[in-house]
Amino acid sequence: MTESTLFTIAFIFYVAALLVDFASLFARREKWARNGLALAAAGLVFHTAALILRTVVSHHAPFTNMYESLSFLSWAVVVALIVFGRKTQVPKLGPYLMLIVVGLVALASSPLMPKGATPLVPALQSYWLWLHVSVTLLGEAFFTVAFVSSLLYLAADTEEKKEKLDALSYRAVAVGFPLFTLGGLIFGMVWAYRAWGSYWTWDPKEVWSLITWFVFALYLHTRVVMGWKGKRSAIVAILGFLAALFTYFGVNYLLAGLHSYA
Amino acid sequence: MKSTWKFFASVKLAIVLFILITLASILGTLIPQGRSAAEYTARYGGSSGLFVSLQLTRLYQSFWYLALLLLFALNTVVCTVSRFGPKWRRAFGPAVDANPQTLMTLKVKNRFRLALPIAAAKDRIAGLLRSRRYRLTESTTASGVVLLARKRRLGRFGSDVVHLGLLVILAGGFTSGLGGRRAEVPLLEGQTADVPHAAFQVRLDKFETEYYPRGEVKDWKSTVTVLENGAPVLTRVVMVNHPLTYRGFSFFQTSYGWDWDNPRFELEVRKRADAAFSKTVALKVGERAPVDDADVSHVIVRQFVPDFVIGEGNQVQSRSQEPNNPAAMVEAWKGEERVFSGWIFAKYPDFGQGHTAGQSALAFVLKNYTAAPYSVLEAAKDPGVTFIWLGCVLVTAGFFLAFYWPPREIRVVLEEVQGKIEVTTGGQAAKSRETFQSEFDQIFESARRPA
Repeated sequence: MTESTLFTIAFIFYVAALLVDFASLFARREKWARNGLALAAAGLVFHTAALILRTVVSHHAPFTNMYESLSFLSWAVVVALIVFGRKTQVPKLGPYLMLIVVGLVALASSPLMPKGATPLVPALQSYWLWLHVSVTLLGEAFFTVAFVSSLLYLAADTEEKKEKLDALSYRAVAVGFPLFTLGGLIFGMVWAYRAWGSYWTWDPKEVWSLITWFVFALYLHTRVVMGWKGKRSAIVAILGFLAALFTYFGVNYLLAGLHSYA
Repeated sequence: MKSTWKFFASVKLAIVLFILITLASILGTLIPQGRSAAEYTARYGGSSGLFVSLQLTRLYQSFWYLALLLLFALNTVVCTVSRFGPKWRRAFGPAVDANPQTLMTLKVKNRFRLALPIAAAKDRIAGLLRSRRYRLTESTTASGVVLLARKRRLGRFGSDVVHLGLLVILAGGFTSGLGGRRAEVPLLEGQTADVPHAAFQVRLDKFETEYYPRGEVKDWKSTVTVLENGAPVLTRVVMVNHPLTYRGFSFFQTSYGWDWDNPRFELEVRKRADAAFSKTVALKVGERAPVDDADVSHVIVRQFVPDFVIGEGNQVQSRSQEPNNPAAMVEAWKGEERVFSGWIFAKYPDFGQGHTAGQSALAFVLKNYTAAPYSVLEAAKDPGVTFIWLGCVLVTAGFFLAFYWPPREIRVVLEEVQGKIEVTTGGQAAKSRETFQSEFDQIFESARRPA
């Protein structure tokens, strides 16, 4: 089986998971949600195989262009869903996260994203490629969980739901923020120093990572020290996710800089 | 003084600074940084002067941005220090607030009686707590014994360690900015150069570019020898992602090129009327090369470019470093008479030959053009780097402590009531309260009914 076949099978599973999730939501059959999660996990198996196969064929980490990094990001979001989805009693988390996953996979598969595996330019030939990108994207996947639960918080109608969503959002940030700091900023600085000779150059991608970091630092400080909860916290988490999204996407297309790989 | 301290101890100031630094940083990504004055004038017209005087064009090095960072550092120090004392006492202090009534107000609590002597009851509970890795502090009060059990005490200091790490990183950044030395060292193969600000030299032994089978660049490799007083000390291959470090200096592969200012090439001189005539001369720019023929005594190449293009002001320029369109400005002389003058193109030998001299009797072919490759190393001595890595380790450790090492605290009061020992206990955990509750319940279940 080729990588694109595996990727397509994963996509089909994700779409099936999405449909089952929404069916369970609208039919109010919570047991179906378990099937949704199982379908997502099955998709993840094929997706993992696709990523491994691509690594073997291309001889490098599978995140050197936008197609590859979108694929890995959607993989990481499914991982985050499985981490949180089993324990949390938020029935809407699965459907809406899977909506994002299917969107990301569809975007990765679209003709906008060149799929060819190109050999690595000298700057990318480093094991820091693995560490920096995978840990950063994993962190961003947990920010995605925080984003979805914060949006759901703003739409929630009962206090009980709100409390669960607020706690879920915080727990997702508590996982995502350290990962993002370590992978995005710290590993990024170490690698930049080795490859470019300078750990920090105020490149737009670096600055936007810092901005993302500041927004989530704001989230934690307002919450832990000033006791913000609920609506205000949810808005800060949403802003943080949007900053992360801009760091990931916007900077590449809108701002020029050193960091022009993916 | 006190009000200044209060001002900096406020988390509200931190929030304001978070927002200001974020907004300023965003602004810096919208205005291109560190470009030429002409570019700003073209972009922003009359307001470009204002941009420059507000230092918006080098915003991250500007006085006011650095001032914001310093305020942020000061705020971090004061906030951390002012909250440190109480935290320290909570984690390590001997004082125990052990009023049974207070304990019974906690969410995680228990109260039961044991028919044991007080010393035995205490030992049993202490043993159970110790087996769960709690550290105990014991005190005796008028009415009985108090046990304070704590574990993962360092978890309280996660945020402090992160703050310390951030301060060390900021200190590293300022150290790099003030004490860092960096310079580009361009080197031709075989060339030796002094390293700026250092007492040693580097020599480029060899420079090569490796390619993938389909032609993309795989690596630039500079074989570099370090020399002390002219004597070689060590030889290393420097590649992107593989710098050389020597005596506090790091050498990074940053750029490469060819020395087209000193090209080597050959010029073949031909005659249109005489197909058998051919003479090839090797020459340098500006040098007279004898041809020693009745029709042409010598040739001179006035200029050479590897990638010919007519640029601004009709000036001949090179579009790139690559020999995509090598061209030479050739003059041919017959004694004191110039018989040919014009550009000839290696890849278009029939183009334009004779445009100045009409239909010239001579034709030229530009061949075997090469230039020596050079490599550009960046030599950097950055005393801030050590701080940066130390700060990064502290931040990582701090995050671990803050998020994954939540402290737990259990207080136990043992009092004699009606001939039995009444045990009142309450606990607090910073995180994962459900697992803490079950641990707490297990401990005191075992205390009541030992197996």
